[in-house]
Amino acid sequence: MYLGLKEMRHEKLRYSLLSGVLLLIALVVFMLAGLANGLSNGNRQAVDQWHATTVYLNKNANQTLSASQLTLADKKHLQGTKIAPLSNLSGTLRTSNNQLKTTASAFGTSRNSFLMPTVTSGHRINGKNQLLISAALKDQGYHLGQKVRIGTTKKTVKIVGTYAASTYSIAPTVYTDTATLNRLKGSPVTSGQQQPINAFVTKRSHFKTSKHGNLQRMSINTFIDNLPGYSAEQLTLNTMIYFLFVIALAVIGIFMFVLTLQKQALFGVLKVQGIGTSHIIAALLTQSIAMALIGIGLGLAITVGLAQIMPAGLPFVINWQAFGIYSLALLGAAVIGALLSWRTVAKIDPVVAIG
Amino acid sequence: MSTAVLALQHINKQFGHGHTAVTALNDANFEVNAGEFVAIIGPSGSGKSTFLTIAAGLQTPTSGQVLLNGQALTKQSEKERLAYRFNEIGFILQSSNLIPFLTVTEQFKLVDKMAHRPFQQSAALELLNELALSDVKNAYPNELSGGERQRVAIARALYNDPSVILADEPTASLDTPRSIDVVQRLAAEAHQHNKAIVMVTHDQRLISHCDVVYRIEDGNMTRDNTATAQ
Repeated sequence: MYLGLKEMRHEKLRYSLLSGVLLLIALVVFMLAGLANGLSNGNRQAVDQWHATTVYLNKNANQTLSASQLTLADKKHLQGTKIAPLSNLSGTLRTSNNQLKTTASAFGTSRNSFLMPTVTSGHRINGKNQLLISAALKDQGYHLGQKVRIGTTKKTVKIVGTYAASTYSIAPTVYTDTATLNRLKGSPVTSGQQQPINAFVTKRSHFKTSKHGNLQRMSINTFIDNLPGYSAEQLTLNTMIYFLFVIALAVIGIFMFVLTLQKQALFGVLKVQGIGTSHIIAALLTQSIAMALIGIGLGLAITVGLAQIMPAGLPFVINWQAFGIYSLALLGAAVIGALLSWRTVAKIDPVVAIG
Repeated sequence: MSTAVLALQHINKQFGHGHTAVTALNDANFEVNAGEFVAIIGPSGSGKSTFLTIAAGLQTPTSGQVLLNGQALTKQSEKERLAYRFNEIGFILQSSNLIPFLTVTEQFKLVDKMAHRPFQQSAALELLNELALSDVKNAYPNELSGGERQRVAIARALYNDPSVILADEPTASLDTPRSIDVVQRLAAEAHQHNKAIVMVTHDQRLISHCDVVYRIEDGNMTRDNTATAQ
């Protein structure tokens, strides 16, 4: 400890340079993590808000919601309560005078289903052609009582309620009932049990088989992983983050190794005087942990600062749990990086310091 | 039984095997008592450094034994040898064995940190005073003159209160007046603190300040009773 910290104090430039490099790496890690989390949120926030456990799609739908065609009557394959039908329509939400236009993800479900979001202003859907909109749309200027269109049809629906922020496929969500969504879709059947829907969503997970007639059961996590582009996006960003850990490890490892080579004579003198390998390694560890802590701390602070001034369109959401794990991973890289010089330190022969 | 603080008995040290074997020390016998300032003098390649490394527990002799306060040092583990060097031996090395990023006072503090004890401030100040270093106690080694650095090294060696101080060519990088000053101080410290100090050197001019002189040549060590004033 003492040796390591005193050396850092004396060689401020040298050690602040490496802290700076670690700061940059940490910053990129946290920015990527924030973006990954923001994009993930943008894709799945609505799904998370369902608090559901299981999704049933058409078994030929290749696990994709939009490709899954079912009817309300298919519910006969499933037993129990808390099973909600779900229809999805991606389209442009616009006011009748076309002043406001927004890409939105529309969901249709039964009026009293658990999928319906909790209304924060206005009222629940209690009649035909009513629509609930999420907070982001309200912020854009849509308001209660307004008549809006979705997609290409001329049919209008009336905004009757708003709810918390919610997105799906990086678009803000709106909710309506199944029949209204079918009318918006231009479906020939807009009432009764033969109405088309895309999926059933349930909070139960203990059905015995995975095949239920033409239905295929999937866990909510599998469903999320199969959201269009979701896995590819997350994998890309996470791979970049994992590579950064390797880079951090290499940077620290090489830096500490080069310093160790430079200080071989000094370490020899220390060993002559009875200050052994373990003390020297402890000093190296102290230094790399201190540099990592400085880099991670400043990286976090700058990330939080940048998050305040980022444009609203950037899908950046701070996830403290992920930041905590990544901080520990960077710290781990620093520890391993320092330990890479162990052999070199151990091999320094104190005899060379004499004569 | 010998009362010597440090004694080397019948030490042989060979490097290599067979035809290529080199004898660095040949039946060397040596002893130093408390309060004695001993010089080991010889040309380069004579075995001085080998002697020092064996006395310091850095190398084991091919045969013979090293006794510290009557106890044999042979066959120790690396950890025990580190502890031996840390606790029992003070070193003064050729150029400087000071840590470049520690101030003079911090060189002492490091010893205390390693020994897990609080900083012995009064002892440190007393030593610095004794060696005329009070003015530079907060200086880094690179801010000191060569003579000052070696005086700090002497103080640092004495600070841990070792049984023996081993000095390896402590005057190699100094001019004559400074060399004489360092050697006089070593002699004074040996007598004043009742320490055994062993100095390895090739400089004949210094031996008049020593209590005992050993000569070493081609691995053969002899006590020279004519060299000193006594």
